[in-house]
Parts: sequence; C-alpha cells; structure tokens
Amino acid sequence: MQKTVLVIGILILIVFGLSIIRIYISNQVATSGVALGQIQQQADAYKIENIQLAENLYTKSSLTNIAEEAAKEGYVEQKTDFVLNGQVPVAYKQ
Amino acid sequence: MTWRYRFVFLGFIFLFFLVVSRLFYWQVVKAQELSLLGQEQYGVTTTLTPQRGEIKTSDGFPLAANKISYQVFANPKEITNKDSVSTILASTLQLDIASVSASLSLDRFWVPIKSGVDLKTKQQLEQMNLPGIGFDNQYQRFYPEASMAAQLLGFVGKDSSGNDKGYFGLEGYYDRLLAGKEGQAIEVHDAFGRPILAEMNDSSGETDGANLILSIDRSIQFLVEQKLKDGVELYGATSGMVGIMDPKTGAILAMAVYPNFDPRNYQDYSDDLYKNPFISDLYEPGSTFKPLVMSGAMDAKLVKPDTKCNICAGPVSVGGYQLETWDNKYFKDTTMVDVIQHSDNTGMIFVAEKLGLDGMINYLGKFGIGDTTGIDLQGEVSAVLKPKAEWYAVDLATTGFGQGISVTPIELLDATAAIANDGVRMEPQVVAAVEDADGNMTKIQPKVLDTPINAETAKVMTEIMVNAVDKGEASWARLKGYRIAGKTGTASIPVSGHYDPNQTIASFVGFAPSDNPKFVMLVILNRPTVSIYGSETAAPIFFDIAQSLLRYYGIPPTGD
Repeated sequence: MQKTVLVIGILILIVFGLSIIRIYISNQVATSGVALGQIQQQADAYKIENIQLAENLYTKSSLTNIAEEAAKEGYVEQKTDFVLNGQVPVAYKQ
Repeated sequence: MTWRYRFVFLGFIFLFFLVVSRLFYWQVVKAQELSLLGQEQYGVTTTLTPQRGEIKTSDGFPLAANKISYQVFANPKEITNKDSVSTILASTLQLDIASVSASLSLDRFWVPIKSGVDLKTKQQLEQMNLPGIGFDNQYQRFYPEASMAAQLLGFVGKDSSGNDKGYFGLEGYYDRLLAGKEGQAIEVHDAFGRPILAEMNDSSGETDGANLILSIDRSIQFLVEQKLKDGVELYGATSGMVGIMDPKTGAILAMAVYPNFDPRNYQDYSDDLYKNPFISDLYEPGSTFKPLVMSGAMDAKLVKPDTKCNICAGPVSVGGYQLETWDNKYFKDTTMVDVIQHSDNTGMIFVAEKLGLDGMINYLGKFGIGDTTGIDLQGEVSAVLKPKAEWYAVDLATTGFGQGISVTPIELLDATAAIANDGVRMEPQVVAAVEDADGNMTKIQPKVLDTPINAETAKVMTEIMVNAVDKGEASWARLKGYRIAGKTGTASIPVSGHYDPNQTIASFVGFAPSDNPKFVMLVILNRPTVSIYGSETAAPIFFDIAQSLLRYYGIPPTGD
C-alpha cells in the first residue's frame, strides 16, 4: 500500500515538475520573438548599409569618376602635339 | 426486414453521406482557401523580391549593380492635417501637390506616394515625423560607370504587370537568369503584432539573380568609348561604333557605340538608341569584305598571291553594267597582293569569277555571312543570302568587293577573326562566366563555329593584309614598328535604287600583332563629312586605339 502511494506521489511530482518546466520554457520562447524581431531589424539595417557603402565605393572607384576628377586636376590627354622653341641659351650666343 | 427498418437504415446512410460530402467540401475543395484564411489571421504573407544579378566586367567591377531606394507610402486614415502633409510631401518629393492631395483623400489604409526615393530625401522626411507616412525598401538598377557600354547592357524597364524586366542587350538576353525567382515568407504575429517563434515562420522559393561576369575589359571599353566619341566629332560623322574581340576565343573585349544613352533614364532618349547597331544594323561592308572573298579563292586554290589579273586594265562590264575602281586607277596584270593593297574592284571581280557562284556561296556560308553569329546579346539580326537561282552575274561580281550584300558589323568582325585565328571561326561571347546566388561560378567555354579556310591560307591572307596596311591608302596612319593586318572600307549607301555619291560608311577592320593576334577590331563611322574615305577617317581611329591596346598589353614594337 505504502509503495503504491509512493509511486503515485512520485508521478504527481513528475507531472508538476514537467508542468513548471513547460511553463518556464514557454515563457522564455514566447518573449524571444521580440529579440528575434530586433535581430532581424539589425541584420536588415546592416544589409542596407552594406549596399549603400558598396554604391559609394563603386561610384568613387569608377573610371568615369576618376577621369572626371583627373580632368579637374588638369590631367587631360594632349590632343595636338606642339613644341616650344625656347630662346637659345645665352652661353651659345657668345 | 420491415420497411420501417429499411427506411431508418437508408435515412442514416443518407445523413452519413451528407456529413461525408460536407467534410469533403471543407477538407478538400476549400482546403487551400481555408488554409490561407487561417494564415492571414495569425501571420502575414509577404512576397520576397529577389535582388537582380549584377553585370560585371572582367575585373569584377559592376557595370550594372543594385542600389537601395525607397517607396514612400501613406495611411490617409492616420493623417489629420492633410493639406499641410500634402504640401510638405509635394515640395520634398518634387511632386504635383494636387496628385498628392488626391492620394491622401482616398478612403484607404495604404496609398503609394512615390517610388525610387533616395536615402537623403527619405532621411529628410523621417526627421519631419509626419504621421501616417512610411517607407518600403526597393532595389533599383545602378550604373557606376554611367552610360558605359549602354547598348551592350540594355536596360531594366517594367513588364505589363509592373515587374522589372530586362530589355535589349545583356539585360534582355539574360533576363530570366538575372531576375532570379520570387519567394514568399510567412511571419507569425501575436495579438499585439509582435513576431513570435513558430513553425509557420518560413520563407520559401526566393533565389537572387545570378551575376554575369563579362569578357569586356573595363579599361579597354573606357578607352574605346573616349576615342570613338572624339573620332565621330572630329570627322563629323552621324554615329560610330567599334568592336574588339579576342580572335582565339571569340571573347568580346569591348563594344562601343556613339551616341549612346543613359540606362538609368532610358525613357529620356530616342528608341533608336536602345538597339545595339553592332549586332542589329545591316550595312554593305565594301572593301573590308575583300579579304574574305580573296581568302576563299586562295583556300580553294583558284588564285595565288602572285596570280595576275587579266581583266584589270580598265573598267569591267558584267551583265550590262560597267564596274569601275574606286579611284578610277587601273593596274594591268596586277597581282592578288596588289589587288588588296590598291583595294582594286576589278581585281576582286576577277577573283569572284574564279570562285564562281557555288564557291562564293559556300565560302560566305563558312565565314558565317548570311547567318547570325550566336552572340549572347538580344537583338542580333542577319540578312539571309539569296537563293542560288536569284543571283545575277553582276551580283557575283559586286559581292567580290563587298557591295550588293548586307552584313552586320559583328558578322564581319567574326569572319575577319577567323583569318586571324588560323582559319578557325569562334562564336562571339560577351559573358565569360555566370555566378549564382551561392557564389558558384560556371565558366562559359569558347565555341568553335567553323573552319572556313586552312591555317596556311590564313597566314598568307594575313601577310597580304599586313602589306595593305604598310603600303595601302591608309599607310600614312599606320603604327611604325608593329606588324598590323588590316583593310579599309568605304561603302556606298544605297538610297532609292541607287548609291548616294556623297555619303558613305567608312570602316577599317584589322588585327594585331599579325603574327600572334591579341585582338581583332572593326571601326565604323556612319556618314563622315570631313572625308568620305575609310582610310582618312576610320583608319586613324583604328590605329589610335590599336596603339593604346598594344601598350596596354605590353607588346613591344618588332621593328619598322
């Protein structure tokens, strides 16, 4: 008889224990959605930032942009060849 | 069994049938609809738009990439001061105030205001904290090199459903590959609309578009576009184009057209500029065609370099037409080497007649004339060769010097590349490799199309073309120290049944270095006004570009 009571008691304890564990895990999981949402938002923000940085990088490093910047600095292809004939040095004249 | 039992039994069967039918209706017929209804109640299904694949040059730099832009939308039910919000939105987004005001007065929860808004404008609006105004991310085509290779790339427009679709060039040809596959995602929410973990959280089917890695060399493309623009302006031409190919693999290294268009704002340009004339326009090639016919006749052992032309002392009459040389100069007993050097039409009539109609049709076919080359660009055309029965004697004669026959520039470039490649004709290819969304690279192997002439004939023809460059009418522009094979072309333009005497298509085709060609190039100027001759317009552009390419490849001069 005592053995039966003991078994029933253990079973009840197991049921209670498992129920508490289930409630605890459910609570943990239920609130993780918010964290998940935040992580998702952060990942999206990084992804967008990455695309924006790539856009800037491509624009700056394009040959079209480099040629434009170079032209502003005076690096342009010489279209016509010409030679400046300087005066003969004084030393030669003498 | 009495009738009462039977009646009750049948009644139960009938009721059972009704229940089963109803269950079948809900479980099978309406299953999908109910499933969707259920999902909508506790989750949100969103369409995942894949990112369109990028188009990159051989150095991995994107000619067409994607950038983030934003769609501004409004919830009119949340906006109380509609006049004020309309004014702010209209001025910030540069819209008509009446259309914004009309959108905000609609009895809806979501109305689009403007697409393609940049980050700066979005941040400006965010700082104003306007009620009921939101933003959705969008991907938009972005061209770091602006209009570089515009006709080669094509552009991205919209289809009838409002979805992105590629048109012309690579965007059109590889549209399905670039577009990727749309997917759907279901996000399960709690009562407060917060996302929760559940088995329903799932995304499926979305695949980003594949990237295309081109054989186009960005530096060469940039250089060629600059030189072509300068050339078109210098020689007063209406337009111009240049194609450069590796003769050994068929890889297109550059393809430039001027004038071009800005693919971002393609709608601001004439439709005529969208197509790539290098693959879509037919023209009479004129003298640049002569090396093909000559090499055919030499390959068939009908003429040799020292064969003398016995009809070249004056104009030649064929089928009632008198055919003359371009400069009215005639060379009695001229050799085949000199025929190409002087670009002698009567000499080419001699060669064409030696070749005969069957031989001509056979060799033109092997060189790919009258057929598309198979280049991987949308919009390639070809003019089919006439059936044998429709050829007149004069047609055979004029085909010998490239008149009365139409080709596309890519056909001529590819055929000339066969001479440069020991007689082997390769398929022209713009895409060298395809990179899928997971980064796996699939290389596209070069493809042999035909072997129109043998290697020995190709070598002899190359020497004849080198001689034409060194001693022909374009010799003034040649690069000293380099052996370059080439041929000028000045093609008349057919207008209302006759040729326009004042307008021409000037061209130059050639390859360098002739002993181990690194590139084959075709330069075409449409209706140059400073001079009508290819030797005075297209040739100097060819040699100018060739000089830069030889330096770029680090190929030293080999002597004068």
